[in-house]
Amino acid sequence: MEPIAVNPKAGKLKVAPEWADVCFTCGTCAGGCPVTGVDRMDPRKAIRMAALGLDQDLIDSRFPWICTMCGRCEYACPQGVEILKVMRRARGLRDRDKVPGPIHKGVVMCLEKGNNLGIPKDDFLFLLADLAREMDEEEGFPGFYVPVDKKGANLFVTINSKEPFGEPDDMKFWWKIFYAARESWTVASENWEGVNWGLFSGDDEAMKTIVGRIVDHMERLECSTLLLPE
Amino acid sequence: MWYPEVFEKYKVVSVFDLLKEYLETGRIKVDKSIHTEPTTLHEPCNYGRKSQKAFGHGYFEEPRWIIQQCCEEFVEMYPNRMNQFCCGGGGGAWAMPYTEERIFYGRVKAKQIMDSGAKLVIAPCHNCRDQLMKSIVPEYQLDVEIKYIWELVADSLIVEPWSEEEIKKAREERDAQYERDGIDLDEEQW
Repeated sequence: MEPIAVNPKAGKLKVAPEWADVCFTCGTCAGGCPVTGVDRMDPRKAIRMAALGLDQDLIDSRFPWICTMCGRCEYACPQGVEILKVMRRARGLRDRDKVPGPIHKGVVMCLEKGNNLGIPKDDFLFLLADLAREMDEEEGFPGFYVPVDKKGANLFVTINSKEPFGEPDDMKFWWKIFYAARESWTVASENWEGVNWGLFSGDDEAMKTIVGRIVDHMERLECSTLLLPE
Repeated sequence: MWYPEVFEKYKVVSVFDLLKEYLETGRIKVDKSIHTEPTTLHEPCNYGRKSQKAFGHGYFEEPRWIIQQCCEEFVEMYPNRMNQFCCGGGGGAWAMPYTEERIFYGRVKAKQIMDSGAKLVIAPCHNCRDQLMKSIVPEYQLDVEIKYIWELVADSLIVEPWSEEEIKKAREERDAQYERDGIDLDEEQW
């Protein structure tokens, strides 16, 4: 095996320069992590890699993506090492075309089409109307409809694109609650996505754009309350 | 922080804040007797531990209170709150191609659910719900039902009927909106 040239000062992942000293290497993080051992990795090793300047090896490894960024390791760390920041930064430093799975494609789709799955506006509006009619006529919620772009509504609500795409009836749970509460609410006809995959792919810029759209809706529709996307 | 002015100008609420407000103020009413089975809460990392760290408030008590309004018997999983275990589908893992690793991750949650004796597990997060319902339950052959917390509330609702006047007004608003958006449900589109 080649000797490793350690250069902690040159690291891309390092948040604080004294890190190599801060971590006690106690392994508390690894002990509490459900995926310790997968690919012979664990949070302690990931932090050692970052501290020792093995950035690229960590960025290229699967571990930052198998990690769910649940934060249990970081909460237990006696030294307050910001393990999550390192993991997310490692994700962000992957070439975008090497981000595993659909999340980066979803971010690009969302930026272009307004939702992660590229559902067209006409299909979306028709679906909402169709589901609303079922509730109004068949399911005991007479007068129910989905207010779209309703100016002056109290509550602005985003939508998780997986629901109109694959589980449309699940949207009715909230709708029934709004009906019972006689809430004044609305959704947007475009850019209605509530899932911000930039959070997961490590893409701050895209994340900010997508958050900004929600702010724009609040302004444009003069709503007073935002229901945070779950 | 991005858009700090938003928090000044608008009220920003989580699903828990809103459901709790509706229940506390009596804007919605629920019937507990619909859910009699032992019910537990899966705590999403983002609403609990990570929210505590990022915003100084973890949503630990709110979901428990909401569930207790809708269910006769609430049971805990251990460990919980700040030491809770992730379902295994968080942080985008649900969408990753590493299925085997994701299911392996979930074994801890599967054991916690079994040990709790619950027959109904409440998931207040889309991602957790999918991991629990579509992977953990079938893979570990758990005999439990999974519901979103808003699904639990919706299923427990006692809806006070709208008046004729309310219905008429809503239908007028709806018709105006559909005309504006060019929606005609009787036209064959699909």
